[in-house]
Formats: sequence, structure tokens, C-alpha cells
Amino acid sequence: MDYIAEGFITALKLLARGDPETYSAFFTTLRVSSISILASMVMGIPLGFALGYYSFPGKRQIRAVVDTLLALPTVVVGLFVYALVTRRGPLGILGLLFTIPGIAVAQTILILPIVISLTATAVSNLDVRFRRTVSTLGAGSKRTALTAIYESRFGVLAAAVTAYGRVIGEVGVSMMIGGNIKWHTRTITTAIALETGKGQFAMGIALGLVLLLLAFVVNWILQIVRRVR
Amino acid sequence: MYEIQNLKRRYGDGFTLDIPSLAIEKGKAYGFVGPNGSGKSTLLRILASLDEPDGGRVLFHAETAQPREPSRQSKQQDRALVTMLLQEPYLLKRSVFENIAYGLRVRGIRRSLRSRVHEALMMVGLEPHTFSHRKWSELSGGEAQRVALAARLILTPEVLILDEPTASVDRVSAQLIRETIRTIRHAHNTTLLIASHDTTWLHGVCDEILKMQEGRIVGSGEENIFTGPWLPAPDGLWEMNLSDGQRIRALPPSEMIPHLTENAVALLDSTSIIVTTERPDHVSAQNILSGMLAHLYTFKHSERVKLDIQVAELPMTCNITRAAARSLGLLPGLDVWVVFKASSLSWQWVEIGIGE
Repeated sequence: MDYIAEGFITALKLLARGDPETYSAFFTTLRVSSISILASMVMGIPLGFALGYYSFPGKRQIRAVVDTLLALPTVVVGLFVYALVTRRGPLGILGLLFTIPGIAVAQTILILPIVISLTATAVSNLDVRFRRTVSTLGAGSKRTALTAIYESRFGVLAAAVTAYGRVIGEVGVSMMIGGNIKWHTRTITTAIALETGKGQFAMGIALGLVLLLLAFVVNWILQIVRRVR
Repeated sequence: MYEIQNLKRRYGDGFTLDIPSLAIEKGKAYGFVGPNGSGKSTLLRILASLDEPDGGRVLFHAETAQPREPSRQSKQQDRALVTMLLQEPYLLKRSVFENIAYGLRVRGIRRSLRSRVHEALMMVGLEPHTFSHRKWSELSGGEAQRVALAARLILTPEVLILDEPTASVDRVSAQLIRETIRTIRHAHNTTLLIASHDTTWLHGVCDEILKMQEGRIVGSGEENIFTGPWLPAPDGLWEMNLSDGQRIRALPPSEMIPHLTENAVALLDSTSIIVTTERPDHVSAQNILSGMLAHLYTFKHSERVKLDIQVAELPMTCNITRAAARSLGLLPGLDVWVVFKASSLSWQWVEIGIGE
């Protein structure tokens, strides 16, 4: 059991002295997850809003598909995107394989259903009196829609945090599309997988601590936002 | 202000709002009373352009040379002039200030927001500095009701529609709301349409009271409504049995349709009732009913006294003079006799509904 305790001590030392390999994985994770979360929110919030707010034929079927995609395995997304962006694939010309944008594209596909589904749930769970109330205050359809997004902001924020949690913790996509290239596409999770395989627990624990800290900071920001509003 | 022609609104459970004709004058205050499910809220929602009628027309600004035909565009325009406080008010998930300012922002008004919001809060009896920064979740039910009302008052609408405005507030707040809407009405010549179960409160605000029953307007003023079932008696009169064995007797309707007997509705004006404390002898009236005086109301500028008398399961309203009330020594809880003639009852919409 000593090796775990030693791992913790060494991990803290690595973090304290600014180990370049550890921090490289950290900044790569931050970069790739920021791109994918932004892209998924830009696409997912309007789509989720439309799915939760409007009534149209086939809405229930679309909702069922989106909800099914919530359980999308990361390796399946990795496989799918790999097939597309590999040199032989239809998008091979874009040269996305083993690049950060490539990982970001795959991660966006992975978390898009989360953002869409949770946003749709937040919007459709708005109080039944909401539309009538804003209507009595003179709001037209556009204004009502904008107010509906604002009213469901906590649900949308929760969707973003959940999606971020999934994206910083996933291994399959980063490994398959990124290739775990040191100083280049190695993220925290792929580094942990590699270092653990090599028996380098200290590095793995150090990266694990950074990952936990990142998740904590994101949730903490969310709590502050909720309290302020 | 409004002209209603052959308005119909149906719901799946068999309820039909059916108003052949109704004119609402600008600047007047109308109260709508009636039991739950009588169609008050449905009618008010249609007048607020929140609900669509299935048939008929509702003309807005009917008194002008160009009354507005109901259309999507006109409804949007009307919403700027008409506002409604819903039965269960909903507050947006933001501060009290933002809730009250919302309607003004929708109208593109940005000037003097702060002072206007504070003024609106004061109108509903809420201290601006204490309440304007509170969150929606930090208010009691009564406070939320008053904030919702303030959000409508700030818009100084041409028509203010209130659905049960005093349902969740205490008596002091109810009185405050009454004074506030009276002030607003006189200051801006606002047309008021109010649905409430609190008839006494309504009488303090409204010029005219319309009684609703099963989707229809069945009368106005202080009538008592007897919905039956009515059965023909051997002596040719019609009778309605009460749970304690007493009966209300009425002259039969002139054009009687047998299968609609039970659906008949009889009205009795509250001033047609005589109240006594001892059983009267030698009177020709067909109806001498015993009951208990439940409430007694006096009004500031009126010589009339309103009595709520419980006769078996039936609440009845009577109007007598102050002098009569004094001489009878009326007090709530007193056993009284209610006397009225069979001919004092009038029939409503007995013939309506053939084929429905």
C-alpha cells in the first residue's frame, strides 16, 4: 500500500514544481474541452430549446433518439469519427486525425445529445403559467421565446456542467482520435491510462488530482452563478 | 370597450361557454361571480386574448369607428392595452424589480424605471426598498400576488382583468388591493373586469355584477340562483327540494319543455325577500323557509344591508334596509325566516339548449 501514499507525495511534488509533462496534459485537456463545450453549447442550446419549446410532428421520436444518444459509448464515437477523418475516410482531406481539433469534433458529437436533451428538459419543464403570464404583460412570440431561455437558465447551465464533466473524463475519443501523442494530443485521461499502464502511479495520481480540481472549480463557478442570480 | 356576439368556447369535458351578446362599456367596472367551472376565467382569458373562441366574435374598442376584428396582429396590439392577473400568479425567476419592470421593457420603455417600479410597489402596499431586490423565491403567496398585481398596474392598461385577485391574500391586503384598483380606475378611466367569489369585495369595486352559471351569464345584480333540479308539483307549481326537507316553490315557466325540467335555472332578486325573526302567519307567500344568518355586511355610502343566510345547503343573499336590520336585531348566528312569493322567481334559459 506504500506505493499509493508515495504516489500522492510525489504527485504533490510534481504539481508544486510545475512538471512540464503534467502541465502539458492539463493545458491540452483544457484547450480541447473548452472547444468542444463551446461548440456543443452553440449548437445544442438552440436545438434543445426548439425541441423543448415548440410542438411539431415527430417531436417525440426525435426526443427518443436524442435521449438514446445520451448513453453513447465514447469508443463508438471514436470509431465513427476515426472512420470519417482517417486518410481513407470522406473527411480525410481535412487532416483532423491525431490533432486537437479532431478530438474536439469527436467530443462535441459525444456531448451534443447531453446539451440538447437537458436543455429541452429544462425548457419543457417551465411552469405551465409561464407563457400566459408573459403574454398578459404584452410579450410577443419572439420575446416569449427569449424569456423562456432566460427562465430555464439554471437547467441550461446544469446541462453545460454535465456535458463538461463527461468531456473532461472521457478516454476513448481522446485516445482513438488524438493518438495520445506526448506534448501534442496527450490529455489528462489518456496520460493517466498510459502512466498507470507503465506503473508510474505518482504521475497518474497527480493528473487525477488535477482532474478532480478542474471538476470542482467548474461546479464551484456554477454554484456562485446560481447564488448571484 | 368590448362587444361580444354569439361567443362560444367548448372544452372536451362537455363544458361550453355560450354568451349570445354582451357589451362592456369603457371605464366601467364589471364583476363576474359564479361557482367554480361556471366559465368566468374562460371568458376573461378570451377577453385578454389569451384564449380563442370556437365561434362568435369579440370586438375590441367596439365604441370607436374602427373596432378591431379578432386577428393575430390585432390581438398582439390589444395585449399592449389589456392586461390580466391570472388566478394563480406566476413570477419570473428574477428579482421583484425585474418582474415589475418586465412589461415596461417589453414595450420598450426604459425611462424612470426605478421610480415607476417603486411607485407600483407602494400602490400594492409593499415597501420598495425592502422588496424591490428580493428574489421571486423570497416572497410569501400574498406578497407574490401583490407583486404580480404591481406588474400589471405599472402598465396603466386600458383594460385591467383580474381573476380572483383576493384568493390568496389576507383581509387587509384585499382591502388595499380594492383601494388601489379604485384609484387606478379613476385616474386612468380603466375598464375593470374582475372574477371573484368574494361578492362583498366585488360590490365595493364594481358598477355591475354579472352572474355566471354553467358557461352562461344568467343574471346581474344581487340575484339568488337556484339550479334545481326542479320537479312539477301536483298543484301545478314547480318545486326544488332542499336537503332538510324544505322546498322552494315557483310558478311554472310559460313555455315548458318536459325533458329540460331539471336543467331549469330560477333567479330570485335579493330585494324580493322578506326576512323575519319569527315564523310569519297568515301570509300568502308560497315560500317560508327557515335558515341561519351567516354574515351581515354594511356599505359605506349605502342604506342597504346585505345578509347571507344559510337555508339548508343553500346560501341565499338578501338585501334589506339598515333600519329594518336594526329593528329586527339581526346578528350573525341568529335563526331567521326567509319569505318570498312563488311569482318572484324568474326562469332563465329554460328553452336554451334544445338539440345540444
